[in-house]
Amino acid sequence: MPYNMRPLSLYRSQVQIDAGYKFAIRTHRYDSGGNSLLLRKSGTGSVYHYYYFDLRYGIADFLEFGAQTNFIRHGVRSESETYVTASLTTSDQITVTKINEVKGFGDILFSATLRLPVQYKWFDLSATGGIYVPSAEYRQEKPAHTITNITSANSYTVNLHYNYTNGFGVLVYLIESQVKFTFGKYSLHAGFTFRTPAKEGTSIRWEENLTEKQFFYYDKSYKYLLSDAFIADLSLHYQATGWFDIFVNTNLQKTSGGWTEFWGNKYRNRETELVTLEPCFELQISPSLRVCQTAGFPLKGKNADAPFYLFTTVRFSNFLFVR
Amino acid sequence: MKKLLYIIRPALILQGLLFPSLCHSQIEKQLTPAEIKQQTIVTEPVTLKKGFFRAGTIMNYRIADKYFTDKGEKEYYESNIWGSKSSYNLTFQYGISDRLEVEFATEYMNSRQESQTSEYVAALNTTRTLELKQKGTGIGDSYFKLRYQVISENNHSISLTGNINVGIPTGEKNPTEIRSAEKYDLPVGSGNFTVATGLCARTILYPYSFTGSVNYVYNFSGKKKFNVADMVEKEFRPGNMIETSLGINLHLNEWIVFSNEINYQYKGKGTINDHYTSLLPLSWSASYRPGLVFQVKKFRLGESVTIPVKGRNVAADPLYIVMIQYIF
Repeated sequence: MPYNMRPLSLYRSQVQIDAGYKFAIRTHRYDSGGNSLLLRKSGTGSVYHYYYFDLRYGIADFLEFGAQTNFIRHGVRSESETYVTASLTTSDQITVTKINEVKGFGDILFSATLRLPVQYKWFDLSATGGIYVPSAEYRQEKPAHTITNITSANSYTVNLHYNYTNGFGVLVYLIESQVKFTFGKYSLHAGFTFRTPAKEGTSIRWEENLTEKQFFYYDKSYKYLLSDAFIADLSLHYQATGWFDIFVNTNLQKTSGGWTEFWGNKYRNRETELVTLEPCFELQISPSLRVCQTAGFPLKGKNADAPFYLFTTVRFSNFLFVR
Repeated sequence: MKKLLYIIRPALILQGLLFPSLCHSQIEKQLTPAEIKQQTIVTEPVTLKKGFFRAGTIMNYRIADKYFTDKGEKEYYESNIWGSKSSYNLTFQYGISDRLEVEFATEYMNSRQESQTSEYVAALNTTRTLELKQKGTGIGDSYFKLRYQVISENNHSISLTGNINVGIPTGEKNPTEIRSAEKYDLPVGSGNFTVATGLCARTILYPYSFTGSVNYVYNFSGKKKFNVADMVEKEFRPGNMIETSLGINLHLNEWIVFSNEINYQYKGKGTINDHYTSLLPLSWSASYRPGLVFQVKKFRLGESVTIPVKGRNVAADPLYIVMIQYIF
């Protein structure tokens, strides 16, 4: 069904499976003053590989249940540092490189969406409630530091490699509302999402000692409270033909509140903000198959990564139990 | 029985006179799928028909993030360096006959390497920042290719196409614009001639097509500077290469094709001044390339991602490919 004729939730007995892949290039970052920092120049740029899975089912024409999760792989390098000592007879040099790797499945979000119980013509309104179940068991894994390029007793390279997992680690609630207007071939779609943690979480942080070129690891427990997240979307769609919907979306993401414990003290989490412009299109390939492609361009932000990304989603939908 | 024939004969004659389209469609059914369906990558002939000309561009983009080690393990580049490589490939294909096609391809390269490190010198109690900034832009290497249908799809259910490919090192092979050991322009060419030959088989079971190919690339020796500090060019010869691929393409509808290909490449050890070197190691890779190809009459737009699955001494990052073609 073309986008401009589609309600905000699935029809009764309709099942929809989404599988998506986002490739993001993180060459910029916004600092606390909103200035854009070029990470590429310092060699600390990186890429994200983000996979997304979503399953939804229409219980009634105005009620749907859904479950979604994701998988991420992302390695962030820090600037390398070299320490040089020189005497009359020798010159020793120790180089330290550092990479923080985030890898793994995210938590599973279970959600229910309720929309206006009338046939969709030009106006629709929906409300969603959801809960992230901490299935990913967010917990830092043991680092995998190495020592390479040993040229003498005191000349070598220390490669610090920290391993992080995905997910929140605690129950997180989600509330969402969406509204949609259609005027012929044009549609306006707006959404607002609020995410807040149910309680404080406890996790571990790995630290290390280097003795005789051997690493000894130990972990320390710490507490944290996730920040609240606010996400607002506004998109304008044009249904060029029955099988082609082209649209542009503006996305605002903001986080505030929350804290993280370091050495027994609670430090407030930084507030973040990011505005992204997303030109997109959706192709109806067959009655049950659609492909959606989005390009994301960061416009402004604070304390946030500013990646450019391409997000491709394949959507399969069909009716179950209907003869 | 005779009465029945009197009825059937005039009916057949009448049908032939009044409904020529029906007769025509019966003839069409005898043609191969490549001729009756829209000319997509599934249904088009394996080589261009005589007098047809196709121009296109292929854009590749890759960022250096991970690599397969000498032991075949996938690892991050540990040091902080930003490396990206893109190429804009122009291809021109012409059908000399219905079975013979010639192709010329050249590319514009754009590669970049940037890094910044801090150095603390204890004896002098000073800190200095080392910046590395290298880029390589310009016309890269060029290729001539001949493809001939050894077994034509018109007569058999499987076609077999042979090809000969000559690589010409038209791109700059040495570092240029050397301002310091860290700041210079990267080479955009390989610096040696290559000759490749291979076979490609294809069969169509509409809406599917199945392909398989094998290619052997012979590298001639060349001369170039491997390091910015090299005063003279060194003689080198990269190892020869074998490439194989298997593919399944599927029509999602009349004009969109979902392409799938698995690829295997093996490259032997190379030499510098007739000695094996770690700069040209033995390498291999196995990769999967899914893609979507949109066909709008004579215009074709395709996008695909090459995902390295396994390998040794090769990049492990996805390669993004966008293809635009038009047939004249």
